Amino acid sequence: MSTAVQRRETSAPTGEPAPPPWYATDLAARLSSYVFGLLLWIVLAMAFERVPGPDEVVVRLVQEFQLGQVFGHFGTTMFRFGLGLLVAAVGGIAIGVLMGLSPISRAFFESPVLVGLSIPAIIWAFLTVMWFGFGWKAPVTTVALSALPFVAVNVAKGVLGVSRDLRDMSRAYGVSRARRIRELVLPAVTGYIIAGVRFAVIIGWNAVLLSEWFGATDGVGFRSRYWYDANRFGGFAAWVVLFVVFIVILDRVILERASRRAFRWRDES
Amino acid sequence: MSTGVTDQFPGGALAAWEQGEAQGRRALRQRQARILMFVLLGWLTMLLVWQWGSAQLPGRVLPGPWPVAQEMWEIVASGRFVRHFLTSVTRTFMGFGVAALVGVPVGYAMGRSRYWRAFFHDGVTISGTVPALTYAVMSLIIFGISTIGPVLAVALVSTPYVALNVAEGVRGVDRDLIKMSEAFGRSRREIRRHVLIPTIVPFVYAAVRLSFAVAWKVEALTEVFGGRNGVGFEIRREYQLFNVTGLLAWMFLFIAFMLVIERLLAVSERRLLAWRPQERAGI
Repeated sequence: MSTAVQRRETSAPTGEPAPPPWYATDLAARLSSYVFGLLLWIVLAMAFERVPGPDEVVVRLVQEFQLGQVFGHFGTTMFRFGLGLLVAAVGGIAIGVLMGLSPISRAFFESPVLVGLSIPAIIWAFLTVMWFGFGWKAPVTTVALSALPFVAVNVAKGVLGVSRDLRDMSRAYGVSRARRIRELVLPAVTGYIIAGVRFAVIIGWNAVLLSEWFGATDGVGFRSRYWYDANRFGGFAAWVVLFVVFIVILDRVILERASRRAFRWRDES
Repeated sequence: MSTGVTDQFPGGALAAWEQGEAQGRRALRQRQARILMFVLLGWLTMLLVWQWGSAQLPGRVLPGPWPVAQEMWEIVASGRFVRHFLTSVTRTFMGFGVAALVGVPVGYAMGRSRYWRAFFHDGVTISGTVPALTYAVMSLIIFGISTIGPVLAVALVSTPYVALNVAEGVRGVDRDLIKMSEAFGRSRREIRRHVLIPTIVPFVYAAVRLSFAVAWKVEALTEVFGGRNGVGFEIRREYQLFNVTGLLAWMFLFIAFMLVIERLLAVSERRLLAWRPQERAGI
């Protein structure tokens, strides 16, 4: 008994530190950061007349739900967002695989992808509105074109990372092509595809909002703009809360978990 | 037996070796030339697809590369390019200044204490997920149409990068170096000045380089929403005039400028930090 206590005391300065008191644990720190953020918001709302406070935003939020505006607009936007992402994923994976397989196709696609990465979403939003007018085509195209290069770059990185030695060895030992793809290429590439899709989701969400802001008559972006144009920043902030919460849950909770699962084989070793 | 050959022909092996070396170099040059050819082919294909698209589509929907190039030249020649890009890039770097002022202390705290790491963790990671539109419109609501709006948007976007990088830098500071300095009786101020700060500066620089593309886009976006000058304002104006040629011209200038600045930042980073052993190894 006493030796155990003694050992703990002597090992404390060199080995594991003592557990922190309750107010200094990680959980307490995180919670207090949220409280601090809320206080900061209240102070800002008091300092700047145009910044809506939390109370006003909550009232607006409840009102929007009661009016039945939330789910309709979210549904419309989700459809456009999903369709655009699908196009971006299919195109991006195809180009990424080509880029990863040979140095020549990599050289060929390098510049178009670099240009694509540099074009801001707002430019695609403007161009597609001028091309297609108001409707569903402009947001879908904006999402697809903004997100595609990010998927391509990540998939290319994954395909490049497949161990050449393992590939050569399995071929030398006569492992069938189907098994090579299933057990060697797919596990190595899946994580990078998910990483690419994560980028695409973040970029695409911003793109769909921008596109709807400038060129749609419904959807989340349109509704946010409606409040902004009406100079009712409380309503606008309520929608900001909605679309930020949505993307944070999608990215931090769902996609991060998927990404950790996909990279399990790598991180365990 | 095995040494006999080289003993007999002392120059022979050397010549063969040099020959092989030359052959290798030639093969490398050939491969590089082929790669370069395909890079050019990539550019050419892009231009051809663009030209083809503009011929297929009716009217002024998609002007071809040549009218856009002319428009670009006009923008540069009239001096509007220099004026607006200078405005925007100044605001971007002012935003970086604010981000460094806020991000360095935050990152320092995150690197040194577990409590602050947990405190800032959620905020720093979530802010990378928030759509850029939010930052642009938020800074507009706070400051209205002014020059401070874009600066705030850039600062909001790039502060997390600075904080995360500095935290990593502080955690990576050589503990032995600090212990040795203490053992030799250096004061806390001297340690900070000669050990901590030189370690942190490269990480701040890296954060600026990494976040430049994102910050530059957010800066332009804020000007689109509410600026009186700058690149974003010009892009917005061309959109409102329904001038696709002008929009594309500004877009290509925007991209070219961004790639040049990124390259400059990367080169100057290597120059400035050449004294660091890991940087030298990286070259």
